[in-house]
Amino acid sequence: MPALGQTLTPVGVTILAIALASGLWLFIRPDRTPASHELWTFAEGHAEMYEQLVERWEIENDLGITLLSMAALERRMMGGFLSDAPLAGLIEIERRMAARAFAGPVEAIGFTDLAPRLEAEGLLESINPASFGPWRVGNKIFGIPHDVHPVMLSYRADICEQYGVDIGAIETWDDFEREMRKVMIDQNADGEIDHYPIAFGLTHRDQLELLLLQAGGGLFDANAKPMLDSDANAGTLVRLSRWIAGEEPIAADAAWDTAGGQSQLISGRALCSFVPDWQCQVWRNKMPQLAGKVRLLPLPAWEPGARRTSVWGGTMLAIAKGNPHQDELWALAKRLYLSPESARALYEESGIISPIADRWDDPIYDTPDPYFMGQTKGRDYIDLANQIPARHPSVFNEEALDLLSTALSTLVRERRAGEQNDANLAQRAAALLQQAQTTLKSRMQRQGSWRDLEAR
Amino acid sequence: MRQRASAMLPLALPMIAIIALFAAYPLAISLGLATQRTFGTRVATDVGPQNFLDALADPLLRKAAWNTALFTIFSVLVQVPIALAVALLLERPRLWARGLIRLALLLPHMVGLAYAGVFGAVAFEKRTGMVNRALHATFNTDLDLAWLENAPITTMVIISAWLYIGLNALILRAAMGDVDPARLGAATLDGASPLSRLRHVTIPAIRPVLGLVVLLSVVGSVQAFELPYVLLQGGGVENRGLTVVTYLYQQGFEIGDLGYASAIGWLLSLVMLALIATTALLSRRSDA
Repeated sequence: MPALGQTLTPVGVTILAIALASGLWLFIRPDRTPASHELWTFAEGHAEMYEQLVERWEIENDLGITLLSMAALERRMMGGFLSDAPLAGLIEIERRMAARAFAGPVEAIGFTDLAPRLEAEGLLESINPASFGPWRVGNKIFGIPHDVHPVMLSYRADICEQYGVDIGAIETWDDFEREMRKVMIDQNADGEIDHYPIAFGLTHRDQLELLLLQAGGGLFDANAKPMLDSDANAGTLVRLSRWIAGEEPIAADAAWDTAGGQSQLISGRALCSFVPDWQCQVWRNKMPQLAGKVRLLPLPAWEPGARRTSVWGGTMLAIAKGNPHQDELWALAKRLYLSPESARALYEESGIISPIADRWDDPIYDTPDPYFMGQTKGRDYIDLANQIPARHPSVFNEEALDLLSTALSTLVRERRAGEQNDANLAQRAAALLQQAQTTLKSRMQRQGSWRDLEAR
Repeated sequence: MRQRASAMLPLALPMIAIIALFAAYPLAISLGLATQRTFGTRVATDVGPQNFLDALADPLLRKAAWNTALFTIFSVLVQVPIALAVALLLERPRLWARGLIRLALLLPHMVGLAYAGVFGAVAFEKRTGMVNRALHATFNTDLDLAWLENAPITTMVIISAWLYIGLNALILRAAMGDVDPARLGAATLDGASPLSRLRHVTIPAIRPVLGLVVLLSVVGSVQAFELPYVLLQGGGVENRGLTVVTYLYQQGFEIGDLGYASAIGWLLSLVMLALIATTALLSRRSDA
């Protein structure tokens, strides 16, 4: 048998010492339970803004701010709910994350129901009603809304002017298609059309959802039951399939958040793109070449006189139910989200308009924006704020969107195979959506969420 | 003998404890979970084998299984022969810049799957992606070839070949070092062609390592998750790139049905065990 000295070489001893020391450190290190007045956020811009406000208000000792990636925040949040791991008192979350936190019976949701406090302080009336949609389960509200996020359409004003596009004549999507076809020519004779009117493609799921919502369709009703098979959804899918694969497709697959998509927007290959208020700042940072060349117009309506905007994204601030400092956290949350100072900072730092209607008179929203050719975009977004469609949270949101996007992809394939008759495709869309509805309902029934919805 | 075994038991105890704590216990928990239907954070109902029955009848899981099978088969068919060819190339005595080639072969593996997914998403993008640009410049193909939408499995096979061929080639090259030079020399003297030497001398000599490379490729491909997750953000258009583990993740962590996800995990484990057993059996038969 070898002696211990032969087995434990200097390298072996070093490894053993490191293992023992690190094990000991893990064992004795202090518990990293978050401070009771701690805020977790996923957005770097938000974290910076809150830090500045907290410093200005001199409440650094009252609130710690931790920036986490969206996935890490979700893991920690769900970990807290599933296993009672420590949670921050205030958690800022995005709407898809919230839907996951809201799964299951209402009483098991790990956030405090803020509806009584909002009602008692008259905040239910002063906050834009649709902004509560993603945070509402039945008659309970689990967060203070951070935003409204209306959507407008950016367009290359320089190119539109060059081709004689009359933006003022665009009220509906039909007008849009007719007017914008003026740019669809091959001026440089390279065998390719130089400009496509709109940035849209099969992988643009957020844009698909916002268009369905604008058309009066969408994924879930107020009771969180699927409504995939609506006529509005079918009509929307038929039009979108025409944009992608009609006889004269008008869409270029230029995603705003990819390098390739941005290069198409900069070159003008894709002329228009959907832009919610939060994206304006991103455009400014990622595509500075477009400064002074783009403007925003309200979304063309699906019918004359119908809704001229939609909604994209959303964030809320929630209070962890198990935290014993509910009153202090509520006071901090109100100050961070609802004070006039934070509303101004929100617009200045990130271009996001406040969800509180009383703040909309602030002249800051009338500041001309040179990036958008001097447009007072804050005021334009506010003018659309009360038109944004309602959204309802469901943990099945992504599955529903998957099914709708599959139906769109099927229609695109059929168009490419030669079927271009819109009436036939509308029938096909209705059948596909009915099938999607049945599939989703059966998945929800399998998991038990349907029974829970019935109980709600 | 019994005395020796009882003397060795105390030495093995720490390892047995570690395996019990970190492998056996979680497996037992997961088996229990597979018989529950979970919804939300606090609700679980016992459903017996229903999750397994549902999984067997789930069309989306079948699609994911089909995609995974295609990815596995084509990954192995592409990776192993090319890795073997590269290993033979590295065997050449007067190979120029051998060290540099080895480094170049290993580099993709060093960056990892997540990076490969991000890189692949940019490289295979329509119009601006490197792949479409190169194909357009060389063969005048359409710049808008939709790799990620229409052919996600092919794209994943290409990316995973880029990642793993180098590593597999180096493993095979190391195994080739053990081939008896006398046998190779004898075969050469007997007039065997290079292909015959490969078939009758080299491959039989490296068969155990070759089997291991195939097995690792199969197991890695069956477990594909990071690549489709980053590259396609899930299953891709019409779930054409949905793999079993991606589906498991969606059900467990996005929908919150941990019971169903556990059942899928157990079914996948059974399939992998069957694959490993089959490989071992085939290898034993061919050795005999």
